Amino acid sequence: MRYRIRHETKYTYAARVSHCYNLASLTPLNSLRQKCLQSSISVSPSAIHSRKQTDYFGNESFHFEIQTPHKELSIIAESEVEMDDTQLDFTVDKTITYGDALNYLATNTSEPVLLAKEFCLDSPMIKVTDALKEYARHSFDLNRSLYSCVEDLTQRIFKEFKYTPGFTSIATPLSDVLAHKKGVCQDFAHLQVGCLRAMGIPAKYVSGYMETLPPPGQEKLVGADATHAWVAYFSPDDNWIEFDPTNSVQAGKQHIITAQGRDYYDVTPLKGVIFGGGEDPILAVSVDVARLD
Amino acid sequence: MSKSIYPQNQPLPQAQVQAQAQFQGQTQDSQNLQYFKPAAHIPDQVHTPEGEVKPEWQYLLNSIQNLGSDGLNARTDKARRILRDDGVTYNIYGKDKAPGSQWELDLVPSVISSEDWADIESGLLERAELFNLMLRDFYGSRTLLKQLAIPPEALFGHGGFLRACQGIQVPGEHDLILHSVDLVRRPDGTMCVLSDRTQAPSGAGYVLENRTVMSRVFPSLFRDSHVHRLASFFQRLRHKLISLAPSENKARVVVLTPGPHNETYFEHSYISNYLGFPLVQSGDLVVRKGFVWMKSLDGLDRVDVILRRIDDVSCDPVELYSGSQLGVPGLLDVVRAGRVVMANPLGTGVLENPILLKYLPQISKALLGRELRLKSVKTYWCGDKDDLKFISENIKNLIIKPIYRGTGAHSVWGGDLSDSELAELLQKIHQKPLQFVAQERIDKTHIPSLTKDNTLEPRPAILRTFSVATDNSYMVMPGGLTRVGLSAGSPLISMQIGCPSKDTWVTASEPERIPDESQQDALQAEKEAMLVSLPSRVVENLFWMGRYAERAEASLRLLRTVFEMLNDEQAISAQSQKVLLNAISEITATLPGFVNAPEELLANPEPELLDIIKNGARMGSIKSTLNSLFYCADESKELLSSDTIRIINDLQDEVDNLEMSLSQGLSSAPEEALDPLVIPLIALSGIMQESMVRGVGWHFLEMGRRVERSAQIMKTVSVLMTDVSEKYDHRTLLNALLKSMEVSLVYRRQGRARAGLELGIELVMLDSTNPRSLMFQFERLQHHFDNVRNDNQGKRELDEEDRVLLEAVTSLKLSRVKSLVEEIEGTRPNLSKIIGQLSVLLNDFNNVITDKYFDHRIDPKQLVGTFVEEAH
Repeated sequence: MRYRIRHETKYTYAARVSHCYNLASLTPLNSLRQKCLQSSISVSPSAIHSRKQTDYFGNESFHFEIQTPHKELSIIAESEVEMDDTQLDFTVDKTITYGDALNYLATNTSEPVLLAKEFCLDSPMIKVTDALKEYARHSFDLNRSLYSCVEDLTQRIFKEFKYTPGFTSIATPLSDVLAHKKGVCQDFAHLQVGCLRAMGIPAKYVSGYMETLPPPGQEKLVGADATHAWVAYFSPDDNWIEFDPTNSVQAGKQHIITAQGRDYYDVTPLKGVIFGGGEDPILAVSVDVARLD
Repeated sequence: MSKSIYPQNQPLPQAQVQAQAQFQGQTQDSQNLQYFKPAAHIPDQVHTPEGEVKPEWQYLLNSIQNLGSDGLNARTDKARRILRDDGVTYNIYGKDKAPGSQWELDLVPSVISSEDWADIESGLLERAELFNLMLRDFYGSRTLLKQLAIPPEALFGHGGFLRACQGIQVPGEHDLILHSVDLVRRPDGTMCVLSDRTQAPSGAGYVLENRTVMSRVFPSLFRDSHVHRLASFFQRLRHKLISLAPSENKARVVVLTPGPHNETYFEHSYISNYLGFPLVQSGDLVVRKGFVWMKSLDGLDRVDVILRRIDDVSCDPVELYSGSQLGVPGLLDVVRAGRVVMANPLGTGVLENPILLKYLPQISKALLGRELRLKSVKTYWCGDKDDLKFISENIKNLIIKPIYRGTGAHSVWGGDLSDSELAELLQKIHQKPLQFVAQERIDKTHIPSLTKDNTLEPRPAILRTFSVATDNSYMVMPGGLTRVGLSAGSPLISMQIGCPSKDTWVTASEPERIPDESQQDALQAEKEAMLVSLPSRVVENLFWMGRYAERAEASLRLLRTVFEMLNDEQAISAQSQKVLLNAISEITATLPGFVNAPEELLANPEPELLDIIKNGARMGSIKSTLNSLFYCADESKELLSSDTIRIINDLQDEVDNLEMSLSQGLSSAPEEALDPLVIPLIALSGIMQESMVRGVGWHFLEMGRRVERSAQIMKTVSVLMTDVSEKYDHRTLLNALLKSMEVSLVYRRQGRARAGLELGIELVMLDSTNPRSLMFQFERLQHHFDNVRNDNQGKRELDEEDRVLLEAVTSLKLSRVKSLVEEIEGTRPNLSKIIGQLSVLLNDFNNVITDKYFDHRIDPKQLVGTFVEEAH
């Protein structure tokens, strides 16, 4: 299945911005189940200098510098991807128990395991706490398959947490999300990553897009799609399996990945530094994920 | 003495008396200054087990003993003076000058024999090579991890592992340019590494300064000890930095400092000066079009290499610590693109991880194929199960250390903690075991240290060494920075608690070859070429330094004049007093002050006058103006000669003493109270004339001075003379004008032929031969501006600055004294008018200069809201 994605980010400032330096992670990456066929990023006002690079986590980041004074900044990322999740089912071992998985992680010294250890540690925005451990514990049993433990955790987050836009911001700590059981996809992904790490399972934060389908009989609205976030956990001997706690599904053909890392900090779609701009910039984001076939 | 050439009843000449006293005191002194073998429980570095002084210490200890207390006292005083005159500080003044900020140097050097040093040196070279390979591995293939030389958590869990720094390329054989180590000697004589410093190791500049002082204080002792020189280390450093430049053109290297508030700022300016590279703050650098540039007067100059004295996480708010005010936005991406090279590279903080010390033997085997010769302090990691058990059981005999400095936690000695504190610490460790290590406490050997009461006492010592990458190896500075504890056996040695430093002498059996002089000259020539371009911040500070110096001087002169007149036996009228006091408020801009003040204040002006002098919190006061002057001097320190810095230090001392010297009030002898400030200010303006290169910086400094003096002349004339006074008052005020403008003498000499206001105004405003006249100031401004203007070829139109100055000079030239002093209805309207007009022009000039040449920094903001970003 092929998709065309258009992701526009627009900042409107109260005062003139004289200069800015930004870093965008907006290009879909290549993985077992996804191929990026083409991609482009355009910036207005135009950048005086820009550079692409593959970052530490293998994501493509786009650095740009704008020298033209402006009160409005717009970044449009467009891409086409081919999704195919048939390969996944062959490689994933869904039967290994949680207990065996822990044992494997503790004793195996293969490269994938050693490198996966990075995703067991605290990261800038996710710190493992007793409360997270306590919450996660109920989904895990040493004799149960790891896959079904994670599936259970995913379902519990979906059922027990209320999707509430506006309740949290980027800076909201995980403990607040857990206490109030409210948040958006970033919060749920952070929460699940924290739970998995608390149980000793390496977990990544994944950011990207998801195709949303209109209610039957209605036209799909342009720009109604959104940026999305979910998780990937490490399963022996070398698989990263993705789950989406916001929708309680294993991530599949409709989940298009742009970047993955330890948490949001590593994969922020757009960050940077501006000079000027005044108070309270207005941010508008619009995403379209259109099926091509 | 019986055959003395001096008759018995006459006093001996002073020198003779001293010589005699010294001779008589000799035996007692020698005892004081003898260094005995310390008690058995104190590890000793100086004596052999048999109690003999080791050969490398003999000459030094004998010489000190022969010198005697008086001799040593004189040397101590001299050393203090040199350190003070060079402005050597560790933690520089804040709002109030902190006591003890002067650098502490113990005059007894630490001595290491050549043979001994050869071992240490080869150990350090090997270690630097290993750390370089480790750095490459961590930010490259991470084979150390894959081959199980270190557990993954040891690397991934360290706050100094900056993932954004993956893939940085550094030209040349080595990525790690500078490597420093803190070393101690165990009681068995072996050396042991306590920690590695790989970010922006400080101390090399202090070593250089210590050496300068020692070689001046003990010239012959130093010469005869054949001490290995330091200069070649700095030449190699300089050479290495230049060789890192990615571009073909002549390399521009800068030294990046956090600024004057940093505790080691002295060293930053000292090193930048010594190496001949501009000293910049982050605001002086900017990323444009994918390159790094320095903002200078003629625009932007490309920067190739940055010697950083800022921790890596603070260097770029776009990709590293977003709250950093010390960074340059976009810097890291330029680094990754290979268009600027940083020394040390960003990301090197990962090597300061103390967990690495535990695994160093394995790491070394993996990367070098052998274990390191130089051992490290025994280190246990709480992330290791066995270690954690050991630590829990032996915590009272261990130093517990966080693995990352950025977390705000400090090292603690378990033995210092109460039971409840220990329990708390253990809980913290068990929560985040990966984040802590424990280390043994090493008994350090002691070396002789000169105490305040002139005895030699054993003190524990620690040595910081410095290595720099060369073309295909490293070079170790011979010696390094030795620091000693405050008492025998004291475990803590830190500059922060005022521990003194020592010069470190690696002594050779024969003299070292002195480097070729011509090479030095070439270095010097190159150095001057580099200084042509200055960061515009420095130039702006010089301009303001000129303004503040002149403002302080003018205010003081006027204050002095007014005091003299107030206290004169010939009493002045209440009206004159009022005008004079008004003039003080106007000139110092401490309004309203005496302007429209009630009668009581005018009749009893002393408290207000004292306040204008010494209230540092009041804008415009003498003290506050001088503080501003000190700030500007600090920001442009690297351009000031050592004599200039010395005068500024004198001035600083006088400001510190102000409270005391004014405690008697002013009425007794105002000149005496103010002269100690006026004289160094005059000396300052003299030394600037005499010892500063006529470069761009100097012209701006002079422009600042002229702008300020013009403003002061106009204000003074305007307050004292634009209103017509009674005849008696008129004489008083004219007198005040002439005195404060320093033209009384000329006035009196010419006055035989002519006299009165006409002559006064002519001298003060129009006489272009009088360096204190208004005309002179404007003409000098024209001259200085001519020398700094940006390229103006082919332009037909005058620059705004030219136009403004030309108009001022012309209107002064066209004016007639007779008309200026003309009185109409109790005022002198023409005088007011021209002063008004010139003030506007002067103001325009100042604004154009400010807009055009100085930097207008806006602070960066994050595009996305604040991240939770404290290190794990």
